[in-house]
Amino acid sequence: MFWQRLARSRNSMKIDKNIEIIDLGLYLPNEKTLVIADVHIGYEEALNKQGVLVPRFQFKDVYLRLEKILKKCNPSTVVINGDLKHEFGRISEQEWRETLKVLALISRYADKVILVRGNHDTVLGPIAKKKDMAVVDDYKVDDILITHGHKINRKKAKTIVIGHEHPAIGFRRQGRIEKFKCFLRGKYKKQDLIVMPSFCLATEGSDVTKEKLLSPYLKQKLDNFEVFVVADKVYGFGKIKNLK
Amino acid sequence: MVNYLSKPYEKKELEKILNPTIKNWFFSKFKEFSEPQLYGVMEIHKRNNILISAPTGGTKTLTSFLSVLNELVDSAEKGILEDKVYCIYVSPLKALNEDIKVNLIEPLKEIEDIAGRKLGIRVAVRTGDTPTSERAKMTKKPPHILITTPESLGILLTTIKFREHFKKVDWCIIDEIHSLAEGKRGVHLSLSLERLQHLCGHMTRVGLSATIAPLDEIAEYLVGYEKNKPRQCKIVDVQFNKKMDLKVLCPVKDLIATTGSELHNNLYKLLHDLIQEHKTTLIFTNTRSATERVVYNLQDMFPKFYTDKNIGAHHGSLGKAKRHGIEDRLRKGEMKVVVSSTSLELGLDIGFIDLVVCLTSPKSVARLAQRLGRSGHKLHETIKGRLIAMDRDDLVECSVMLKDVLERKIDRVHIPVNCLDVLAQQIDGMAIEDTWDVKEVFKVVKQSYNYKDLSKKDFDAVIDYLAGKYTSLEDRHVYAKIWHKNDRIGRRGKMGRVIYMTNIGTIPDETHVLVKIGDHVVGKIDEGFLEKLKRGDIFVLGGQKYEFLFSRGMTAQVRSSVQRPPTIPSWYSEMLPLNFDLAVEIGKFRRLVDGKLNTGKSKKEIIGFIDDYLHVDKNSAKGIYDYIKEQHMYAHVANDKRIVIENYSDDSKKYIIFHSMYGRRVNDCLSRVIGYAAGKIRGRDIEIGINDNGFYLASDKMLMIEPILKLIKSSRMRELAELAINKTEILSRRFRHCAGRAFMILRNYMGRKKRVGRQQVSSMILMNAVKRISKDFPILKEARREVLEDLMDIENATLILKGIEEGKIKIKEVNTTTPSPFAFNLIMQGYTDVLRMEDKIEFLKRLHSYVLAKIGQKQKFNED
Repeated sequence: MFWQRLARSRNSMKIDKNIEIIDLGLYLPNEKTLVIADVHIGYEEALNKQGVLVPRFQFKDVYLRLEKILKKCNPSTVVINGDLKHEFGRISEQEWRETLKVLALISRYADKVILVRGNHDTVLGPIAKKKDMAVVDDYKVDDILITHGHKINRKKAKTIVIGHEHPAIGFRRQGRIEKFKCFLRGKYKKQDLIVMPSFCLATEGSDVTKEKLLSPYLKQKLDNFEVFVVADKVYGFGKIKNLK
Repeated sequence: MVNYLSKPYEKKELEKILNPTIKNWFFSKFKEFSEPQLYGVMEIHKRNNILISAPTGGTKTLTSFLSVLNELVDSAEKGILEDKVYCIYVSPLKALNEDIKVNLIEPLKEIEDIAGRKLGIRVAVRTGDTPTSERAKMTKKPPHILITTPESLGILLTTIKFREHFKKVDWCIIDEIHSLAEGKRGVHLSLSLERLQHLCGHMTRVGLSATIAPLDEIAEYLVGYEKNKPRQCKIVDVQFNKKMDLKVLCPVKDLIATTGSELHNNLYKLLHDLIQEHKTTLIFTNTRSATERVVYNLQDMFPKFYTDKNIGAHHGSLGKAKRHGIEDRLRKGEMKVVVSSTSLELGLDIGFIDLVVCLTSPKSVARLAQRLGRSGHKLHETIKGRLIAMDRDDLVECSVMLKDVLERKIDRVHIPVNCLDVLAQQIDGMAIEDTWDVKEVFKVVKQSYNYKDLSKKDFDAVIDYLAGKYTSLEDRHVYAKIWHKNDRIGRRGKMGRVIYMTNIGTIPDETHVLVKIGDHVVGKIDEGFLEKLKRGDIFVLGGQKYEFLFSRGMTAQVRSSVQRPPTIPSWYSEMLPLNFDLAVEIGKFRRLVDGKLNTGKSKKEIIGFIDDYLHVDKNSAKGIYDYIKEQHMYAHVANDKRIVIENYSDDSKKYIIFHSMYGRRVNDCLSRVIGYAAGKIRGRDIEIGINDNGFYLASDKMLMIEPILKLIKSSRMRELAELAINKTEILSRRFRHCAGRAFMILRNYMGRKKRVGRQQVSSMILMNAVKRISKDFPILKEARREVLEDLMDIENATLILKGIEEGKIKIKEVNTTTPSPFAFNLIMQGYTDVLRMEDKIEFLKRLHSYVLAKIGQKQKFNED
């Protein structure tokens, strides 16, 4: 898999004064804060319950990829911007174990772990309690508001960072279509808006140039949003309107 | 041993074995025994396996049932009729099952009248539509004759209470075996038959078939193998005992010097004339969209003659009620004309048809014969058929086909073998039924014709798959369907039986999106295909180009008459492929004519030869002569022993066009393997386009044929072909179907029905995961086999490559500034697929530089 080449390539890009993309994470160097979003642990189990008997790889993949990012930036705070756990009916013992393992991994690097509530996180409470972590609706640092994005957060900030959308972009050339995870940067009202890709590795996400978008932050024309594709490196592709 | 019955039994011999009541009944209805009856009834009576091949509308069904009824009536009269299933009748169509039931119940009433008392012989239909109360009744008191479908038979075999009734089955009749044998439904059935035989020890198998070849192989399929040899089977072949009045027609005198609208108008005038000259006409087209089009245009041009009361379309995407309505009115003789795609090829009773028209080539001699078989209802009536050719390739194709059918040269069908997905489903069923010794399971499986060559390795891989060995022990409870311990297997968990019962079958679950122009349906596409379409995309469906406008719910709105070339590969196609044997016959004919042109034979002489060889009229013979002569003048005539290659470039692309006359299934495989080698050399994606008479490769870099062909060895064909299809859409699609059959994707699970649309995404995730486990994971391996062997024809493609290596097939290369008409058509028809050679990251990088150059902001986006 291409991301295994990550260690060798420069997979980071500074996109603002205090904002850097590191692989699928967003890093705020001044505060040594790493943000990740939409890990969706248990995604495959959910598929299993729907009758698609996918063997499970995602946890191992997420664990290794996350560890590389943590090693690289060595953050003191990690913000999980919603949907750590993919919820679908009863949660198995194993899914609990995996969730705890990811949190334990993060705790090995960071002193502080912030859990931002997502639309899938209704039962995150017990875990947070056990681990003595806070579950919040948003987290603000250096005029950057981090919130999941399934509903509008009224708080004001210069920049808003959301997840929830699982943005990806499909490129088509000579009939070949390939989809890549990406960050989006644009505006919401007068504030800067950054949309993070999902850390769920089973799927790339939804193609923002053609699929119906979910987040209320993105019920607007996205033509002037910039695209940053995350693959072996981070690739700036300019505005969406140039890609159509 | 499989052998043909060379002579019929005497009437007297047959009369001797018939119970007096049955004999009285028979001769009260019929004057004499029919030919199939004189051959078949005695053999069935003697408990010999038999395959009867006769045209539809013959007396096949009664032939197969006469001995059965004879025995049942005799036993009933003697008071020794047991409560067990004596005979199982399996057909692929539920509608046919209902027909058969009526056709048994009526005679039984008449027989009871003759006998003067009730005989208590029970006949019942068991399909997915049978209500629960009926099922319960059957379980308590089994029918003596059970009428069912392959799927319901599979379910009954695992139903504990019903299995008891199967322990002494005497006969199993398989109707429409020609349509089953070609597909995975037939593979599934063959294993069910072995499971049934394992249960009842011995049973007599009776196969009923329309025209098909090779009959020996179909017979082996019917009876299966024992100790590595085919079981005994007799074959009765009365396929061609009807007289035939057949012609190839062209709507216009000269197919070249005609405009599209002229051709169109003349076609409908011709059809109208034919219809009016006959009582009831059945028109076959090759696609559903064409079916709708013909009905629409006939009504449009001749509104006084055709109303909704006397004309109708009949195809698979129509609702059941609509189809039954048409069938009903056909039987009553109310229809003037019915237009159908493939749905009326099967043996439903549709009454009297005096003319069958095939609009464009039916692509296989067997299919032509089956379609023709729908005309002339009684055995000795003349079959009347007309083939209408719409272009010159079509004219040659139809003419050669006509020759073959008149000379009784039937092209061969392909029977799928070693299908691991169906195997997994059936072994799961066996484990639900009982615990088994694995060796015994292997033995039973190998008795099926479709698995006679199954390797132990593949078998074991399927057992391991079912036992969930590809996952860790702690996850296994989710994936394992059976337990496997000390060489024994058995059912695991309580859910197994329900999953099996609710997910059984081999017909893939698909949601189709209707493609419409306004309210007018032009065809249907796969949901996965729709996902790839953007507004303004041009795609090909059933041979026509359409521009995609928008989709709403389950319909896609399009616009026709598009001039631009397709923008999206049409890997999803509705086209019937040309049969390989027939393609070779066409190639051979072209070679013979070319030979005569080379030796300077006169025009008159050659036209005389064509006329004679093909049984066509002078006008058609002249058309064919002009066509081949033109090719001869232009470059070389491609034929069965010569592939002509054209190199051509336009502004954006370099093309290699192969005139290879081997049919779409072979060309599909050849194009991918050659395209893959070309892509390897150039490191670029290669676009491919395919039809029955050739294929092309295109790239933005020059392609040279010689170094490409050097890379390909026929001995490495399989390996190369597997690499070439590895990243294709068609493999993902077939993988999804296979995963469904092997119960890796369950459409019914825990009380909910899975929507197919969402299966697309989840099956991609599944395929990626399975690829990580092993490239030889049985379901993935099966998907590749299905693509290469069933969808494509790797076997004959390999033979062609071998022919090239050995110099038996010559390659002639020509460079052209303007493409030949054939090449032009092929390019205009658009591409079928893109072979992805470039690494995903390389692809991204190239696009990245392209986009940056385009927006001219390279500086601003420098990394870090």
